[in-house]
Amino acid sequence: MTALQPPSIRLLVCGNGDRGDDGAALAAVAGLLPTLPRTVLDRVEVRRCPQLDVTDLADLPDGVSAVVVDTAVGIAPGQVVVLPLRRVARSGDGPAPYSSHALPPQAAIRLAANIRGKLPQGSFVGVGGRSFAFGRPLSAPVRAAMPRFRRALEAELARLAER
Amino acid sequence: MHRTATATIPADETLFEVRGLTRVEGEGSLRLRVRDGAVTEAHLEIFEAPRYFERLVVGRTGDEVLDIVARICGICPVAYQMSAVHAFESLFDVRVTPVVRAVRRLMYCAEWIESHALHVYLLHLPDFLGYPSVVEMAGDHRPAVVQGLELKRIGNELLAAIGGRPIHPVTVRVGGFSRLPSRTELAALRPGLERAVELAEATVDLVAGLTPPVLDRAMPLVALRPEGEYPMNEGRIVSSEGLDIAPSEWRTAFAERQVPWSNALQARTADGRAYLLGPAARIVLAGDRLGPRAAAALERLGGAGRIARNPHWSIAARAVELVEATTEALRIVDALAEFGPAASMVPWQPRAGVAAWSTEAPRGLLFHRYDIDAAGRVRSAQIVPPTSQNQAAIEADLEAFAPSVLDLPHEVATARFEQLIRSYDPCISCATHFLRLDVEEVTT
Repeated sequence: MTALQPPSIRLLVCGNGDRGDDGAALAAVAGLLPTLPRTVLDRVEVRRCPQLDVTDLADLPDGVSAVVVDTAVGIAPGQVVVLPLRRVARSGDGPAPYSSHALPPQAAIRLAANIRGKLPQGSFVGVGGRSFAFGRPLSAPVRAAMPRFRRALEAELARLAER
Repeated sequence: MHRTATATIPADETLFEVRGLTRVEGEGSLRLRVRDGAVTEAHLEIFEAPRYFERLVVGRTGDEVLDIVARICGICPVAYQMSAVHAFESLFDVRVTPVVRAVRRLMYCAEWIESHALHVYLLHLPDFLGYPSVVEMAGDHRPAVVQGLELKRIGNELLAAIGGRPIHPVTVRVGGFSRLPSRTELAALRPGLERAVELAEATVDLVAGLTPPVLDRAMPLVALRPEGEYPMNEGRIVSSEGLDIAPSEWRTAFAERQVPWSNALQARTADGRAYLLGPAARIVLAGDRLGPRAAAALERLGGAGRIARNPHWSIAARAVELVEATTEALRIVDALAEFGPAASMVPWQPRAGVAAWSTEAPRGLLFHRYDIDAAGRVRSAQIVPPTSQNQAAIEADLEAFAPSVLDLPHEVATARFEQLIRSYDPCISCATHFLRLDVEEVTT
């Protein structure tokens, strides 16, 4: 009998597939998940969230890490970044939310931290976007960056799954 | 681009300029000019660029319009879809099934729950408890924040179950829905809605312990008033001054006009007066349509009179409507369980004419009017959101409120102005999040 381990990673897949580069995270995760080794896949809970929501972080159990994967602005199109959530939370001028109806990511993380009593563990894996127009495909720099984006996400998941 | 207070003003004047309202859906500012202790100018300046939705829908069919107008707002897309779909169905003489009518009301309940929960807990409550935002408030008032987030999430889940997703739903169609939730899906919503009723009642308890700033003024109120139920999708447009017209006849009593300081049109009564829409207006004008639990909640919060005269107390109106929306949603889910499989659509044919209707968005009456050609395509459109109608009332109330805070230190006065603006839950491009206001006083 195999004992199932509870998920140790909550993968929060942000973005909108209808909006050009805003669909990069969805595309990366869709391509990556079938290729992940079972030892990693079994530790991952995947949540689809159009934009980072405080409720996805506020109830994060102790010992579980969040990996927020999304397109970002404020970095070069196609640039891939991996940042600890604590660093995103500290940034005064973090990535802009996709809608101003949503809390900016740094505010969502800080609010979740205040609700939980401590910062959620985990990281942000992002790719710089250039075009977010409706009905458009990924822009050329983001298309070119997709292999690097997937590898960065894969490495982060593997790192966290080993903890 | 934010404006600056560089204008030369007379020595006997004081200028309060609240620039660049931040964390706002849309861009706006407040400008108050005071002379000899009296407000001579109170402008809510909306300088967000026009969004051209009324032009975007030209040439589109009704079903296309439903998807386009939903994009006007991420908090109240259902309102835009409901005003539009009822307008088209009114012109095309479509009689939807009782199930479709009930599910549309359920959909509106979902939107009210998520919108009111957001405003009460995350946007407005920090003002009453003395915090700059919910982020800071969460450290000291965790249970309240968790409660608000849970209530909002239940509203979002209900909307996703009906509309396919929690924001910008996709199932509303002229004649019905592209897909109705199954009885199994509806039954799965019941535990969440039972919990939502508990949370709404807890919201009333929480709000009952708050003390609003003092402001006592009379403002004409306007809302829908239907037969036998609390207003959402149907009813006649009534006012505290005796108006009583069909939901399609908004233009007979009100008109939009351009003011130099706002890119949003301001609506006023036909004789040029400000009026107020929203939860307070609904409570005052249709409070007798509340269900028993919401009516009891209203009593616990001091009744409709207090809500009518103090805009700060709109938080109480929203708390009451949370009880109404959650109990009504539960009632509808139970009622739908009694129905067998139902057709999601009825057939219809387009016809030329004017399609017009009003429904009750979370922030108040939302009027749509479309001139339609024989193929059912839009020739011209008019969309009048609640905030454009409330702008004049906000300015009038700021003017009435200002004398009571002019002698306070700037930061205190700023907080008071901020709280008053937020009490209307304004949608500048169609909603406001919490604001961080920057008040500058200039004397020369």
